[in-house]
Amino acid sequence: MTKEEMVTLISAEGFEFVIDKKAAMVSQTIRNMLTSPGSFAESREGKVTFPEISTTILEKICQYFYWSLQYASGKETEFHIEPELTLELMMAANYLHT
Amino acid sequence: MAMYIRVKRNKTTYFVQCDPTETILDIKQKLCSLIDQPVNDQRLILRATGEVLEDSKTLADQKVENDAVVALTLRKDGSEFEDVNIEPPNDSFYSREDGSPSR
Repeated sequence: MTKEEMVTLISAEGFEFVIDKKAAMVSQTIRNMLTSPGSFAESREGKVTFPEISTTILEKICQYFYWSLQYASGKETEFHIEPELTLELMMAANYLHT
Repeated sequence: MAMYIRVKRNKTTYFVQCDPTETILDIKQKLCSLIDQPVNDQRLILRATGEVLEDSKTLADQKVENDAVVALTLRKDGSEFEDVNIEPPNDSFYSREDGSPSR
């Protein structure tokens, strides 16, 4: 777990979530940002800002990334989503191709 | 990956991958490489109980489970540890007193 293996996702309110690149790449959109050669400042600095995703939603998304990795490795648990988050979470998931 | 914990301080959350058999010291060493603060100047507090986590004990020993929220406080210039400070999300969903989304 070194700095190079981590990426920082920043919410609309400026809150930062430092997560493993491996987890972030569950999102096809973030994967593209981090892997496309030289074109995104994001891939150099390891920081991605989401001005349209609020803090609560972004945290839930990060939890989902990790849940997804756990699920893929055979740990089958449920992912709980609060009803009030559903709509915005779906919109964010659509944007992130998650 | 066996589990992860969410380490929070101010406006930042670190998602830390770990294993129930790892000690708190192991976790602090991981954080050290991220935040450049020596292990001795870190203190971790389990959010759910307010318990200060001890270096020599494992996560399992102290009932730190998958997705748990742990507060990080730091000590600067050899003085006292700062108080726990986790900023609430401050968005339209935030209505709970403890600042952590309910499970």
